[in-house]
Amino acid sequence: MATAVPPPTRTEIISLFRSLLRSAREFSDYNIREYTKRRTIDSFRDNKTLSDPSSIAAAFTDGKSQLQVAKRQAVVYSLYAPKVKSIMDIKP
Amino acid sequence: MAAVPVTCVRLTTSMHNNQIVRKNSTFMIVPMGRIERGFPCLRSSRFQIACAAKPETVTKVCEIVKTQLALSADSEVAPDSKFSALGADSLDTVEIVMTLEEEFGISVEEENSQNITTVQEAADLIEKLVEKKNETA
Repeated sequence: MATAVPPPTRTEIISLFRSLLRSAREFSDYNIREYTKRRTIDSFRDNKTLSDPSSIAAAFTDGKSQLQVAKRQAVVYSLYAPKVKSIMDIKP
Repeated sequence: MAAVPVTCVRLTTSMHNNQIVRKNSTFMIVPMGRIERGFPCLRSSRFQIACAAKPETVTKVCEIVKTQLALSADSEVAPDSKFSALGADSLDTVEIVMTLEEEFGISVEEENSQNITTVQEAADLIEKLVEKKNETA
């Protein structure tokens, strides 16, 4: 067994949540933006009741890697953003 | 040189005529009953308390909180009600702050978002940030 990594503090988890939601805003595609927001909210709520420190740490590490993925993909998608916006983005 | 004051006098007399005409017209247009109703509308839109946020901001914040926490439309969300009292946990608070950021076009810092516990605090912070944004814009 590796040495126990200290479980993330409440503040760290909250700031990871914020970072994920902020990175969701960077996407130009409406669908991906909504999916990122929905997915982070759902997964954070599901894992809210975890009490085992190792599973909390695992979920936190997972979240951090997802944050990196989201940041990279936001940049890549913006390079090839379509000119026509999704109908949902056009306010009535 | 002599011509100048004559023209000035002429202008003032014509202005006097206009003013007199205008006074008559205002008397005709505004009856007594209307004057009473006119004042309160002017006052409420311009009356601003120095330290608290504008009522429209507070109302908007209340609306967003209600939608986020899925509260019924007639539940009481007072400006000084704490988010935790309304049934919001820390994740809900973060979501509410995000929605407020998007709604008002501002950016809330990390430390500030930790300190928001009531609706009034959120509205005050929004006012400050909107002011700062309008100053720099």
